[in-house]
Amino acid sequence: MSLPTRPLTVTINGKQHGPIDVPEGMMMIDVLHEMLDLTASRLGCGQGICHACVVIWDRDDQTSETVPTCITGADFFNGKRIRTVEGIAPRNDKGEVTTLSPVQQAFLDYFSFQCGYCTPGFVNAATVLIERLRRSPIARRDVETTVAAALERHICRCTGYVRYYEAVRDLILKTPGLTRTTV
Amino acid sequence: MTPWRPSRRQMLRATLIGGVAVYLAPLGSRAYAALFEDQLLTVPDWNGRDGTLKYRIDAVAKVTGQKVFARDIRARDMPHWPQQQGHALVLRVTKADRLYNGFDLSVLDPDLKPDRIVTAADLARDGLAFPDYYGDDMLLPEGQTPAYLGQAVAILIYRDFARFRFAKYKLQFNNTIVRYGEETGPLARNPWGSSRFVRVAGPTPDSDDIFSPVKQGPFEPTYQNHEPVWPAASRDGDVGAQGMYYANAIADEIAHAPPDWLVLTRDHASQSADTSALEPDNANGWYDADRQELHLVVATQSPQEVAENAASMVAKSRIGVKRLFLHPCFTVGYGSKDHYNMPYYGLVAAVYGGGVPVRLANDRFEQFQTSLKRHQFDMRYTIAVDRKSGLLQAFQAAIVANGGGRANCSVEVTMAGATQSDSVYYFPKSDIAATASASRAIDCGAARGFGAVETITATELMVDEIATELGLDPLDFRLRNVRKTGMRTSQGAIPQGVQRGEAVLERAKAHPLWSGRAARKTNYDAIHPGKYYGVGFAACHRRYGTGFEASFAKVEVAPNGQIALSHTANEIGTGTSSSQAVACVRWLGRPADRVELAVTDWPEVPVEAPADPAALTDADQNRLQQNPRWTPVSASASSASNSSYYFTHTTREAARIVFRHGLWPAALAIWAARGLSMRPAAESARWSNGALTVAGLPPLGLAELAAQAHARSLVTGATVHAFNRWRWGEADFKIEGVSQRLALDGLAVRYGNGAYSLLDRQNVSYPPPRSINAMVSSYTVTAALAELVVDAGSGKVALLKHHNIVECGNLLVPELVSGQIQGGAAGSIGLALSECLPLYEEGPGDGTWNFNRYHLPRGSDVAVWTQTADVLPPLSDTEPPKGMAEAAGIPLVAAIVNGIAHAIGHRFRSLPVTPDQILAVLG
Amino acid sequence: MSRPRHLWRWVIGLGVLAGIAIGVFISTNLLRGKTDGPVQVVNAPADVVARGKYLAEAADCAACHTAPGGAPFAGGLAMPSGFGTIYATNITPDPDYGIGRWSADDFWRALHDGVRRDGQQLYPAMPYTSYRGMTREDSDAIYAYVMRLRPAQVPNVVTNLRFPFNVRLGMRGWNLLFLTDSLPAVSVGSSPAWQRGRYLVDVLGHCGECHTPRGMLGQMELSRPMTGFALGRFEAPDITPAGLAARGWTAAALRDFLGSGLTEDGSAFSDMHPVVMLSTRRLTPNDLVKAVKYLMGDTPPPPVSLPPAPAIAATSPGRTSYVALCAGCHGLDGDGIPNTVVAMRGNTTLRLTDPRNLIVSMLDGMAAQNFPYLQSMQAMPGFADKLSDQQAADLANYLRISFGGQKGDVTPAAVRALR
Repeated sequence: MSLPTRPLTVTINGKQHGPIDVPEGMMMIDVLHEMLDLTASRLGCGQGICHACVVIWDRDDQTSETVPTCITGADFFNGKRIRTVEGIAPRNDKGEVTTLSPVQQAFLDYFSFQCGYCTPGFVNAATVLIERLRRSPIARRDVETTVAAALERHICRCTGYVRYYEAVRDLILKTPGLTRTTV
Repeated sequence: MTPWRPSRRQMLRATLIGGVAVYLAPLGSRAYAALFEDQLLTVPDWNGRDGTLKYRIDAVAKVTGQKVFARDIRARDMPHWPQQQGHALVLRVTKADRLYNGFDLSVLDPDLKPDRIVTAADLARDGLAFPDYYGDDMLLPEGQTPAYLGQAVAILIYRDFARFRFAKYKLQFNNTIVRYGEETGPLARNPWGSSRFVRVAGPTPDSDDIFSPVKQGPFEPTYQNHEPVWPAASRDGDVGAQGMYYANAIADEIAHAPPDWLVLTRDHASQSADTSALEPDNANGWYDADRQELHLVVATQSPQEVAENAASMVAKSRIGVKRLFLHPCFTVGYGSKDHYNMPYYGLVAAVYGGGVPVRLANDRFEQFQTSLKRHQFDMRYTIAVDRKSGLLQAFQAAIVANGGGRANCSVEVTMAGATQSDSVYYFPKSDIAATASASRAIDCGAARGFGAVETITATELMVDEIATELGLDPLDFRLRNVRKTGMRTSQGAIPQGVQRGEAVLERAKAHPLWSGRAARKTNYDAIHPGKYYGVGFAACHRRYGTGFEASFAKVEVAPNGQIALSHTANEIGTGTSSSQAVACVRWLGRPADRVELAVTDWPEVPVEAPADPAALTDADQNRLQQNPRWTPVSASASSASNSSYYFTHTTREAARIVFRHGLWPAALAIWAARGLSMRPAAESARWSNGALTVAGLPPLGLAELAAQAHARSLVTGATVHAFNRWRWGEADFKIEGVSQRLALDGLAVRYGNGAYSLLDRQNVSYPPPRSINAMVSSYTVTAALAELVVDAGSGKVALLKHHNIVECGNLLVPELVSGQIQGGAAGSIGLALSECLPLYEEGPGDGTWNFNRYHLPRGSDVAVWTQTADVLPPLSDTEPPKGMAEAAGIPLVAAIVNGIAHAIGHRFRSLPVTPDQILAVLG
Repeated sequence: MSRPRHLWRWVIGLGVLAGIAIGVFISTNLLRGKTDGPVQVVNAPADVVARGKYLAEAADCAACHTAPGGAPFAGGLAMPSGFGTIYATNITPDPDYGIGRWSADDFWRALHDGVRRDGQQLYPAMPYTSYRGMTREDSDAIYAYVMRLRPAQVPNVVTNLRFPFNVRLGMRGWNLLFLTDSLPAVSVGSSPAWQRGRYLVDVLGHCGECHTPRGMLGQMELSRPMTGFALGRFEAPDITPAGLAARGWTAAALRDFLGSGLTEDGSAFSDMHPVVMLSTRRLTPNDLVKAVKYLMGDTPPPPVSLPPAPAIAATSPGRTSYVALCAGCHGLDGDGIPNTVVAMRGNTTLRLTDPRNLIVSMLDGMAAQNFPYLQSMQAMPGFADKLSDQQAADLANYLRISFGGQKGDVTPAAVRALR
């Protein structure tokens, strides 16, 4: 096969991968699925619309954002650090999940999802939101608006959003440090 | 999760179909493990490679990103497969009005040419064809006019991903690839089916009908120029002639209606829509030519169907398959992965993989192009009502559902819609003619609602309009006409159980959203210029189940009290695994510790079922049921809201038998051994905090009881089979010498740790096949109130709030029910306001549709923080749970459209109601 | 998104003109406004009202007079300027808040002279500078239509510019200098279709208000009509026959664009999107043909075809960014996806000489936009935080050279200036 390749080195869930030869022009979702066996960043639309495939890009300035991997070339991630949903919950050395993250636990407690296909995207978006609020808390009365804005781009087809939104809202309200009472 | 410990006893048995041994083993199941344990499958040494599959279907797996869907599976996850993963794509036509003349791949550089191209010629040579259900031309031969847009013409197979990926970039959206010839116009074909349901009641709603589908039967037309031609009317002719006699009489009465009747005729249209299950259709398969084995990983709502069809497909072919290993996976489809053809394309791709496993997985454009669609309905309704009494008098409906290019279940969906089009109301006379037409649109399936969303929405819009015409409150008008217990449906059937439509309507009427709506509208509109406030209501009844409901369940209690449940149900995302686990609580005090779904191998209770249960006559059944292994249906697919009632029945019956003949005698023995001489009745026992209690006696834990039951070789496991055709089949079974009549037709029990023994069934009694004519017999009633605002500037509709009312018996898992209501509401909002597909050339068959054009509701569209729901308390704590997933997705559609009518005074009858439609009215 | 409110460079001239204005005031003393009076009852024939509706759409009244989320024609749209914010007014027939007491004469005066019923001058945010060419018959038809609208009790927000720009009287002087009876033709033609097109484009459509450059005093520079101007963040491009042809436009493509917002070479975005949705798509096919006839001239210049792209190394920085950030939707070869994402190859924005619109699109992204006939283009993320000035310049140059036939002359400084 003579497709031109470019080397990719990327840190995923704390583990450095590469350099691996990635065909030039391959989207990150395909690298995750076909080359790295990380299949949970799911293909929903392939066009950056449904956000089922987002990963968390951790910037050097300690901020993070979600990036849709279906429309972002693998090369964009060269030298960057990302988290996929597989890396959100702590795991032991056998790779087994030992405990869930607060967001994941909230989604379980609230029966937020049914089929679970969109769940990785919601986990990542909510995780980024919680981390952001930890850095800059918001007024309690703004929580619902903030949650809605953070999750709006994510499509869910089973449970009609309510249980995702309520899980994140209540998690924010009950977690010290994410909200402030003064204006 | 308890790790499985496969043992010889759980050895997987093959079903033999046409000489092919079929092993159906869901990924991650014990059956899957047993394939290796029994060395039916062997894992070559991968140089120490970890070949274990981390495939799980529980919520933790879903939320932590483990492999859950068939979509997640690659060859490397299948330890016995070659590790190289091939990939396939399907070339499809985007025109269906001209000849298909082959294709041209010259756009591909030599590097990107497929490793294998499969065309109709290959299939013909190798004798591979669709199972009958799916019709002809799995791949369209050259020189023919395609039957429909998006029909497959070739499968291109690549042995690696990168070349596949980059070739697909070149081919997709390129309309120079497929060549066309002479314009022929689309194929003209007879409808897939057509039926007419005529009913003329007796003097009172519960007296015997003069004529009805249940009594005399529905009837069918002949066809001329592909249009239905109904029989000539004759009072004394056959059912069709008689039916037309009464249909004409109804028409005549309406044509010469008395002056105090109001007669309205309205044309309604629903849209073609996509279920938009987020997991696109996919399959992954490997053909091992040396061993003549075919391995398939599939996403399907109906694994049994795939097993049978895939086996008969390869059995009829010349490719040489002795063994077929089918691995169904957790999936989601809302009906679009039930009886759909992707698994068979996956099978073909695997066969031509040249020894390399081949994955066929739609992207979203391809999914829009091919996935089973919601039928587009055109409905002309005429309703007559007596102005003075406000009572409905007659209902005429002419319904045409566009069934698209392949028949699939279009007839069933259309007729289900037709026979439920009376919604929750009583009509003394009805004439409902329904046709599932054939067209060049994409084929359609059992989308959530199964025909009833469309037909009931139309009825609810008209009922609202009539109430307004009569000057009645729309809920008061509905209450006058709601069907009460004992009253017959448009089919002439008396629905089972207490009918709770009236209770649901009363709830809605009392709700503040409804009672204060007029004042709120005046207020709101006054202080919000350019906004129009409205509140709309609609109700619905929805049958659950299909009339062909059957399942197996096995419940076992281990000596340590662990409960294991196996079931034929599949998890389709609705929480069946949780709800069936919870169904064990009633008799065993705890949810099952381990649940295995989609189990197809039931050696303990062998059954024989006819190929086509719909073709059974009463006489057939009477003759065949003498065979103690015979049953009308072996297992039904997971669909049609059938898990909570039908599947729970088998789970509970198995659990009850384990309780009654295992745990209960064990409890008596323990108490007796402690010198307690009371002999309480089993009925007085209750589970409390995981312990069995009877007044005054010391509570006993499940582990203690289970140990005792095992020690005493009491019943510790039961495998049951049951069949329901709007009523359960029943038989007498003798357990420990005591004969009892059970709503089961197959039963085996296990004593202690022994083997299962099959019990003889006696005096089996099935509901007669004729009763399927009732079409609907078990109902859930739901209703919805929608509070909304129409923005005159943009034409957009914003939901401020909605409230859903559901009656569904006892809840198994309340959170799942509420999740279904919320999800159903979101789906309704999409159907009411945004989701829409053109049927033909501009539609998804052109392969360019995605979520940018097909607007699914987002969080901001569904009143996410303000919506509420109300589940009616069950009639008693023994009322069974009722299927509600489909019913919950129906009434909000019409409630929204009625709310728009309240807001701006215009009644829309064509869905979805778009901003442009609203602007055209307000402009 | 907001629509450009014919931004307000003309107000710069207000102070300069104040003296002239005072003189004019003294000489004419024409402040003879009315504030009350009878509520008008208009009973025009249905066909006149229907024609008025059509003309109101062609004149795109709703774009400014209907605020997002507001009642139709009730005004309220805010048009920010460096001198304060100007608000569109309520033109529903409400007697107190709208124009319910206005006569057809009053209405005509506003459209033709830029004078309100109360005698105050309008700011030329209201494009009377273009509407001045409207026939009285058409003005009356629009009047008949708007007087049939549902009255909205929405008070006008008072426009209050800083002194001296709040002296509306200054506009009288401005009008003396710049208000002309007819605008210069953008193309050569004489056919009846061309004439009608001219009326549609110059008068009703008031296209020049955005597409014609504005001078120091905010006036349209009529010596260079329709040659393009950046009133807001985006440039309204050159739509002269030569300008259109240079970017490959044909009459058919232009008709598609005005009729649906979509062509093979791009989709309407920014301020042109609502123009298409509210106005041009509602033109009759006949009028569309005529509008295009005028824009391209009776003898349209041949479209310039896209020159073959020079080879660019796969490892060039611009190509690297394209593959990383753009190709996922626009395609490795720049072909886009039909009905989903516009193509880059030949894209009209990439063929503009000025890279402004390209750079702004890259930095800001674009919201998802609906179009007629169930069309919708997906959202484009903004890449301001993912591209340095140098990377953005490299990417813009790659796009311009590969797909636009333009020079790779974008500098990091040009990007920085637009951040």
